[in-house]
Amino acid sequence: MKKALILLGCPESPAQTPLAIYTTYRLTEMGYLVTVASTPSAKKLLEVADPDEHYVKTKMDLETCLDGLEEGQYDFLVGFVHKDAAVSYFVTFYHILNCKSLALVFHRDPEKLEYFKKTVQENTEAETVSARAYHNPTPIRVRLDRSLEKLEEL
Amino acid sequence: MFCLDTYLRESEDYQIHMSRAGFKDCARFIEDKAHEVVHVKPGEKIVGARIIGVPPVPIGINDEKGTIMLPYTKPCYGTAVVEMPVPSEERDKIREKNIG
Repeated sequence: MKKALILLGCPESPAQTPLAIYTTYRLTEMGYLVTVASTPSAKKLLEVADPDEHYVKTKMDLETCLDGLEEGQYDFLVGFVHKDAAVSYFVTFYHILNCKSLALVFHRDPEKLEYFKKTVQENTEAETVSARAYHNPTPIRVRLDRSLEKLEEL
Repeated sequence: MFCLDTYLRESEDYQIHMSRAGFKDCARFIEDKAHEVVHVKPGEKIVGARIIGVPPVPIGINDEKGTIMLPYTKPCYGTAVVEMPVPSEERDKIREKNIG
């Protein structure tokens, strides 16, 4: 079974948790075994939102995941990139895993959004989707759907 | 074996030059201020911890002071520049990981 890793950033962006659950749902439907790596606080938000683990079945501490990460462990990396630190984490995970990757870049400030997107694009060959978003997850969800549809066609 | 996370939790013998900053500014600080700069790939294990950042990640080395200076990133707090003493064999191990 193909394995996907979803990398979450700091949970201060309200759009992150619903998008993480949605992305897990979509990837599971596509046949991926999904692991979500996050900070303890982002994990708590997932636990409250999905108490029976209906969607998110495997959660992992971000630092533990990074410490044991090796090339070949996952077939697909999806990263939530909405802070400068999240750019660094995504680029680092990308270079260790060396697998097909997708960066979901979102922020409410257009300059930061552009800077995060440019940094990811200059330092990885990951597919990048980006949108101005903070509370509303829809702009990034629409782009995620398009990207995953393309992936299914391959 | 030296472990960065344990060291920062248990020791007070380190210096924070920048904190809650962007990676680019921290990298520039290390390039400007360090006596010797080694560049490594993101994800390399440096003093027991995976180094996080955008390649090439600079690590400063000062043999006179017996310290290294490195970017230290946490998801909610951004990147800091931390300088701390490490044994000479750890400094040599970092030099072996130099990608130029």
